[in-house]
This record gives sequence, structure tokens and C-alpha cells, in this order.
Amino acid sequence: MRVDLAWRDGRTASVSAAPDEAILDAAERADVPLPFGCRIGVCGSCTAQLREGGVEHGRPPHALKPRHLRAGYVLPCVAVPTTDCRLEVGADVPRDLVENPFV
Amino acid sequence: MSDAERTATGGHSHHEHHEAEGPGYVTPQAAIEESERETMAYVVGLYTGTDVDAPDFLAVVDLDPDSASYCQIVDRIEMPTKGDELHHFGWNACSSSCHTEGLERRYLVVPGNRSSRIHVIDTEDREQPELVKVIEPEDVHDLDLSAPHTVHCPAGGGVMVSMLGDAEGELPGGFLTLDENLELEGRWETPGDVEMNYDFWYQPRHDVMVSSEWAAPSTYQPGFDMTDVEAGKYGHRLHFWNWEERTVAQTVDLGEEGLVPLEVRFLHSPVSTHGYVNAALSSNIFHFFEEDGEWHAEKVIDFESREHEGWDMPVPALPTDILISMDDRYLFGSNWLHGEVWMYDVSDPANPRLSDSISIGGYFGDVGSVKGRDLVAGPQMVQLSLDGERLYWTTSLYSSWDDQFFPAEAETGSVMLKADVNPRRGTMTLDEEFLVDFGDLPDGPARAHEIRWPDGDCTSDVWT
Repeated sequence: MRVDLAWRDGRTASVSAAPDEAILDAAERADVPLPFGCRIGVCGSCTAQLREGGVEHGRPPHALKPRHLRAGYVLPCVAVPTTDCRLEVGADVPRDLVENPFV
Repeated sequence: MSDAERTATGGHSHHEHHEAEGPGYVTPQAAIEESERETMAYVVGLYTGTDVDAPDFLAVVDLDPDSASYCQIVDRIEMPTKGDELHHFGWNACSSSCHTEGLERRYLVVPGNRSSRIHVIDTEDREQPELVKVIEPEDVHDLDLSAPHTVHCPAGGGVMVSMLGDAEGELPGGFLTLDENLELEGRWETPGDVEMNYDFWYQPRHDVMVSSEWAAPSTYQPGFDMTDVEAGKYGHRLHFWNWEERTVAQTVDLGEEGLVPLEVRFLHSPVSTHGYVNAALSSNIFHFFEEDGEWHAEKVIDFESREHEGWDMPVPALPTDILISMDDRYLFGSNWLHGEVWMYDVSDPANPRLSDSISIGGYFGDVGSVKGRDLVAGPQMVQLSLDGERLYWTTSLYSSWDDQFFPAEAETGSVMLKADVNPRRGTMTLDEEFLVDFGDLPDGPARAHEIRWPDGDCTSDVWT
């Protein structure tokens, strides 16, 4: 599957994921650095937003609440593409998940 | 032998030896008298949660005022893998093993809180330590544990680590042990004895260990969400364990005023049954103590929330770290959101009395820059010199929480700052010439978290 990656600062990259290969693994194989932490779907450091296409989480995406899943957030460490897809990636995407509750 | 020496040795039924044969110091007072001024610090630095393509590291910071590289990061020991979120760390041996011949304070056990990877760093060359061992996450997960936090060495070798989650990043957490060769050994407790976990401290003479509660990794790691508080997903209990039997003897519920109890600190004196915990979210400090064979916890300090101009909700102080001076006279701490470091006289443990504070950084700090460097976050992890005369602190709490409350820290990195303390007068003065800038590093700006001295410090050592 072809996975197009777009950072919010305008950078882009394209990687190819083997069958059943998580997007983070595919990016690492192509030497495209993405942020990550736990690699088991818990911590949310790798959070990306799916813009086109489909993915399936190979493990439960614990880091994402139903409101995040509805908005298209996915976890590249455990997400496997089901079609060619396009994702917004980078360390500023997980910052969407929570806000400063006092502001 | 003088009369004084005879009296000193004769009075200690627990300690046959006058001199330590193992690491550390015979008593907390010996740590004050026999230690030399800290000339270097180990500080964890991290890139997890940023686009910097580099692993987290242990920084060696020069603290020798006579050195040409004073206030500089003189070495960085890089972890083998990105994404760890180095956080807290600890020694293979401390003063609890001061009578264990052959043991030395030499290896730092440095876990990744997100990765569940555990690193062992050899500090034999204390200025250029070396990574010597890595325990991989898969082996930690095999124990149905994840998210390592506090590292303590039970007396006599080996290491114990509090773990905040199970292999799925959910509850329950537990405790992991390494054997004396720092190989993965197993679990300390019976799985399910506690649900939530965070910090722990033991007081062996009273056969007690106390542990606190943050939340499940899947709850706190992505960031702080108020709906999780409302759903009861954050902790508010202290667990008092029978240390020898490894069972929970008593659980104390701190209630709504005790939300997110983090650092548990017993007084250093091995005879003491008093300690403190910072309920970070409720912004209260609790005193815990034993009376009539039961453990109790009472709120003794209450930091008021403050209104921030133009914001919807009052801002809590968020006291995220505390420590007790080695002479057990002062409780120090930091209010990360408000921007304050403080010291309370705890000579009457049930009635702390404010001695002094410095308003710096955070949302309301009076001091907004040091040596021309803008402060973009509040004081967070604190560490005190063994003689109680120098307080140091860093400014990062946890990468995802930093991004929520102090987003600029991702761009500028953390700082390490210092105040000079007068432990006789109970005063603190900001050292305006002291700045360690983690924003100025070859790979990019880094966050900085826990601080340790090579010879033990006010949060590392326990006495038997």
C-alpha cells in the first residue's frame, strides 16, 4: 500500500507498506522519521490524522477516545493500511488530542 | 577511643559498625557531614514527543563553580532507541546498603516511561558514564507490566521499579524487580494488589512501604483530559504495604482534596513514621503518619487556585514535586503552573510553616527570565544539595502535558535553575548567574526532568 505522509509545515514523504505492516514500521524501513513512544497503541506520541483512505488498528488504539477516532485520528504504531492512504503526521498532531482545560 | 565515640557506637543497637562498608552514609546526618559539595549532576533530557529525530539521553551537567564548563552539559549518554520518555531514575545501591560489603553505588537504572525499556548506565567513570545494559519492552510486557516509574534499591542488592500499567497500558500496575546483577527478575507483589501506581518509598525499620497513584498509562500518557478526572480515572489513594510480606496492609483514601497523589517522601531519619505526599491536581500537601498502629493522612498545605486574566477556569498551583531536606527540617516543592518554588519548616511535621518562596516562571511568576533566557514553563523536578544549601530544579513535567500547559517548551527546551538556601534562616535566593540551558544542544532543544547527584541525594537514599 502506498502511504503519503504530510507534515503541517509542508514537508511530505511517501512510503510503501507491506501487507500487515504498521505505518510506523513502513516509515522506519524507508528512513522516514516519525515520532513515537510505546509502540503498542497506548501513549499517543505517534498520533496522525487520516485524510484519505483506510487503516485498521492491529491492536486496540487505547490512546484515542471515541471523539478522536470519529475525527479520523489514528495510531501509526499499530495502524495497518487497508487501502492507499494519506495521513497528516508529526509531533504537533497528538497535541490536538487534549487542550489546556483552564483557558 | 574518646568517650563521645563510645557513646555513639554503644547507643546503636541496630548498627554494630561505626563505619559504613558499603555505599552511602551511615545516617542522614553523616550524609550532610561527610559529603562534598555536588560538582556534577545527572539529568535526564528528552526528545520524545517532538520532531527531533534523536533519542533521549542522560546529561552530565557541570556544577563546579571553579570549572571552565560550569553550567554546561559536558556529556550526553544517548539511549539506543528513540521514544523512551526518560523520566525518573535511580541507583543500584544507596545508603540502605551501607553495611553490605562489596556493593557500590555505581549503576543508574534509567527507565523509559513510554517505551517500557529499562537502561542500565555504569558511572564508574562518573564524568563519562556508559550504557551497559538494555532490558527490552517485550521482556517487561511478559511480566504483564509497562510504564516504569520510580527506581529504589531495597537493602542488600537488586532494584525495584514501580510500574504504572499492565502489558496493554491499562490497570493494574505493579512492581518489577531486577536481581543483584540487574537482570530482570520478576514481580515484587501479587498482581492486582493495587490498581493504580506511581511513586513509592520504604522505611524498613517500621517494615512499611508507601505507594501512590497517578493513572493508567493509556489515561495520562496522551495528555491530561478533564473528562478522565470526572470518570474517576485518576488516583486519590495511598497504599501502606507490609514491606517484608509484600502485601497491602492499609489503603488511605485522600478523597477529592487528594487527587493525583504523586511523590511520597518519608522523613530521612529511619526512626520516623512521618512523610508527605503532593496531591498535584487538588494542589494540596498531605502529611501521613502512624498513630495507634494505623496510618493516617491529613491535608496540611492548601495552595489556592488563581484567576488568570481572560481564562475560563481558575488555575490550580499543580505542586508536581516535593522533597525533604536531609536534616528533615524543610519540605521543598514546586508549583509548576503557578510558577513557584517553596520551602516549609516541618520541624513540627503536622503543622508545616511557610519559610520562603520564589515566584518564577509558570503562569504567574515574578521572574520571567534568567541570564536573558525567557522562562517558558514553571519549576518542576527539584533536587537539593545534601547540605541543604542549594536547591536546583528543571521545568519539564511530561512531554504531552508540557505541550498542553507550556507549549513553547517544545520549541525552546527546558532550563535548570538554582536557588541558594540558608537552612538556618529559612530563606531562599535565586542564583541569577546560574543557568543550564537544554535549549542549546546539537540535536535541538530538549526537555529536562529528574536530577541526581553521583553520591546520592535527598530523594534517592533510604536508611535501614
